[in-house]
Amino acid sequence: MYLGIDIGSSSSKVAILNARKELAATDVVNMGTGTAGPKAALENALRAAGAAREDIKYIVATGYGRINFGEADQQITEISCHAKGVSHLMKDVETVIDIGGQDAKVIKIGKDGKVKNFVMNEKCAAGTGRFLEVMARVLGCRIEELSDLAERSVHDIPISSVCTVFAESEVISRLASGAAREDVAKGAHNAIAKRIMGMCSRVGYEPLLAMTGGVALNRNMVKLMGIELGQPVIAAPYPQAVGAIGAAVFAYEKSERAAERAAEA
Amino acid sequence: MENKITSKQMLADLLDSHYRSALEAKAAGKIVAWATSICPQELLETLDIDVVYPENHAAAIGARKHASEFIEQAEGTGYSSDICSYARVNLGYADIRHSEAGDIPMPDLIFCCSNICNTVIKWYENLAKTLKIPLILFDMPFNHTFEIPEHSVAYMRGQIDHAICKLEEITKKRFDYDKFGEVMELSNQTCEWWKKATDLAKAEPSPLNGFDMFNYMAIIVCMRGKKEGREVFRLWHDELKEKADLGIGPWKDREEKYRVMWDGIACWPHLSVTYKTLKKYGINMVTSTYPESWNILYEKNDRNGMAAAYSANYANRNLDYGTGNVIKLVRDFRLDGIIYHSNRSCKLMDFRQYEVQRRIEAATGVPSVIFDGDQTDPRVFSEAQYETRIQALLEMMENNKAERQEQCKNSKRA
Amino acid sequence: MQEFKESMKALQAAALHPGKTVRLSMRETGREAIGCFPIYTPDEIVYAAGYLPVGMWGGKTQIRLADKYLQGFCCSIMRANMEFGLQGTYDFLKAVIIPAFCDTLKCICENWKVAVPQIPAIPMVYPQNRKLETGFRYLIAELKRVKKEIEGIKGAEISEAELEKAFRIYEEYRAVMRDFVKASAVHPLTVSPVARHLIIKAGFFMDKAKYTALVRGIVEGLQALPEEKCRGVKAVATGLIGEPAELPEIFGENGICIAADDFAQESRQFRVKGREEGSVWEKMAYRTVDQEGCTFLFDEEKPKGRMLIRMTEETGAKAVIVCMMKFCDPEEFDFPVIKEELEAARIPILCLEIDQQMDSFEQIRTRVQSFVEMLNEDVI
Repeated sequence: MYLGIDIGSSSSKVAILNARKELAATDVVNMGTGTAGPKAALENALRAAGAAREDIKYIVATGYGRINFGEADQQITEISCHAKGVSHLMKDVETVIDIGGQDAKVIKIGKDGKVKNFVMNEKCAAGTGRFLEVMARVLGCRIEELSDLAERSVHDIPISSVCTVFAESEVISRLASGAAREDVAKGAHNAIAKRIMGMCSRVGYEPLLAMTGGVALNRNMVKLMGIELGQPVIAAPYPQAVGAIGAAVFAYEKSERAAERAAEA
Repeated sequence: MENKITSKQMLADLLDSHYRSALEAKAAGKIVAWATSICPQELLETLDIDVVYPENHAAAIGARKHASEFIEQAEGTGYSSDICSYARVNLGYADIRHSEAGDIPMPDLIFCCSNICNTVIKWYENLAKTLKIPLILFDMPFNHTFEIPEHSVAYMRGQIDHAICKLEEITKKRFDYDKFGEVMELSNQTCEWWKKATDLAKAEPSPLNGFDMFNYMAIIVCMRGKKEGREVFRLWHDELKEKADLGIGPWKDREEKYRVMWDGIACWPHLSVTYKTLKKYGINMVTSTYPESWNILYEKNDRNGMAAAYSANYANRNLDYGTGNVIKLVRDFRLDGIIYHSNRSCKLMDFRQYEVQRRIEAATGVPSVIFDGDQTDPRVFSEAQYETRIQALLEMMENNKAERQEQCKNSKRA
Repeated sequence: MQEFKESMKALQAAALHPGKTVRLSMRETGREAIGCFPIYTPDEIVYAAGYLPVGMWGGKTQIRLADKYLQGFCCSIMRANMEFGLQGTYDFLKAVIIPAFCDTLKCICENWKVAVPQIPAIPMVYPQNRKLETGFRYLIAELKRVKKEIEGIKGAEISEAELEKAFRIYEEYRAVMRDFVKASAVHPLTVSPVARHLIIKAGFFMDKAKYTALVRGIVEGLQALPEEKCRGVKAVATGLIGEPAELPEIFGENGICIAADDFAQESRQFRVKGREEGSVWEKMAYRTVDQEGCTFLFDEEKPKGRMLIRMTEETGAKAVIVCMMKFCDPEEFDFPVIKEELEAARIPILCLEIDQQMDSFEQIRTRVQSFVEMLNEDVI
């Protein structure tokens, strides 16, 4: 079996592929690099796949914590892994929008899941999951409820501030002047969609577009992203684990190649 | 019955015809130039070249709340969100070429003067390159000394002469020096009337509400070398004079309680809210650094004088000049406070603002606040922050007023 | 052989400890020092006056005092210079020359006069219309004015002969540096990206005559070695600076070889050779006239994109790395234009937003590694 582990700043994700390159298990633990998260995700996934540590032939680590994960046979960036993971799961996707807690990235992929080009957000929370977290807090709801809340919106309220701090005060004053929470929630989603749109233009996006990362679990965000881009956008299956799945695919391919080379020799 | 037109109507008509005639000129195959706001437009006017001013157009787009589309376009092609938003709006417009807020013809010539900043050099350089059209640059070295150095004047004079040759080449026309003299004279007169009109805000109460000045600024930018420009300011002056003589203040429905200066460019996308917040408290913006910026005076036919006058713009001068200028405004206009706009677009103004604020406060004791905003990027402004800062200023001004009244009372008793 | 490697090590160490290096240079030469702000300053005049010109390209520090003068969206180099000035780090300098190449520099110079009054500021404004006769004459007048100001500080005149001698020393320095970047390009393993950067940077803190001799030794050492093959991605780098040092270190870790650079802090300082004709003043002025593709010097043609493409062709580089200094307006304006030209020429670009004070490199590391993975399938 082949294992990919994606160690982010606030969560750890593991995917395991079987010998037929099929997904055997995935697991997500909401603790990131420097915590017990990676180990827990690893153990959970092994258990779910009904495998032991010795059954794993190859491990590829990705994510910010990839360098500090001692057990990996190789480390590859999450950019390459997301491209690989998406193309493994959905053949026709050419552009990946990944929105995580701290980072947002847009990746253009070529055939076999190779990266053609990519952009990442600048050092600012605007356009990332963090922005939605702040908005959820101001609106007094859980992050999971934000999507449903926005869905019920009837008026468009633009949230124009890019800076998260400004946006927060903008939202508070909107609410104070009587705006509906639903409309403000939708405004926050649209603000992110606009930021991501800018990144998509910079990289030169092509259909089909898929979304990955925790924010892809937010149905409304996916929908509004599609409206902003004027193209259908679909959420990838296992959106949080796509990086780990890509890493597992790399692990599979690496191991295969090594085996081929050994056979030739 | 005599149908008397007001300066406000005239302003609207003139701006309308300014843009319309530029579009018509372009359609008729004439040369159209894009130019920076304080450039030696006398040369273009002499050669009868139609000019539009991207800064003014960008401000109009911003004020009509259409800036986002162009900003997003520019950022999509790789422009950083940290650069001047006038530039981002204009560079976005150069791609999209249409705005609900009004259109301008695409240029055949770029006319750039660095007396307002070095940023315009980069911005216009990009326009010239992507549109593949010639650029005439007037490089006006920043004046680190109080006076304009002689070798700078010689350099700028040389550039004016060079520009004349280049313009003759481009237009295939002979430069008419007699007409040049006339345009110089007219431009000086327009500036004088602009200054005289805005100076009327010294009256207490001020007949002028400074946000109106922001509107009239479009004409001093776009029509400085035209008779109509001069006439509108003369008319505006007369109207204000009449009001001042009658003791009429800036608003019909509210009294002028406090008089402040606005430092920096307006927040065009939030013009209404920035204005209403002030008016609510009876705070009238009576002046800014702008009246002086277009007070470009020199002797007719004196090209060295002309060069020096253009170089002497506030933005191109050292801190001592800047401070002295504001101190004078505080005294002449009897200001109660100052509002500094920390404008994310304009590093040249921002990075002197803290020191200017300190010095003005030390010299005059007038309270002030700084708020964060941007001239056209609607995303960089927080209504809540603005309101809080204005309230803080109000409290300081109230305290000062109370103290002054107390002092007067005490002096009487003694 | 061993000797040139020792020199390489010594220069890298020198660049990592500017304060110590400058003090040592002052002691060795008996010269006092004058600070020279980015982008260009007439160092020859400073040198001819008997001072040690010291490059002032910021550095790592905690920004506390500079906030009195500058908002947070000011470029990190200038904030750092202001901070060091206020902290008293520069108090040993006899003066600083601050050229007005951008709006931020204009303000920095004005603030400096107030904030750091103990170190006199010598403002300088280079002409943007440098290719016009009037601009050329102005530049010479400006150079002569700066000379007068330095003479005022020195309390003695600078002779034409001294200036000519200084110009020759600087021309030699520049020639040797051009050789150095060429030699490093074909020895990317011996001269890693970070070594290359630090060796070039050391020149800002040392006596140029002594420094040039050391670099010449390195060049000769390198030339005696067989050429080395780049195992990763060969790239041309551009931007204001390629700092902090962690940045070229990350390049090295990921197998990036610097085939050539267009950094303001590196090659732009020495890539222009002086002309043979004219007085020493004209020769100095011509170097500004002849500089091509510099973000800070007006050029209607904007040849930077073409220049970068040519540099990749000449060196066989596969990519261009843009180190984008956050809040550097001029560089940020150039980017979309060069991006379009490079894309049309099918040259991959990696744009990294940098800040001299940054201390978290995870995102940059990911971007660099991803870029290498993208270009070099062998690595994955």
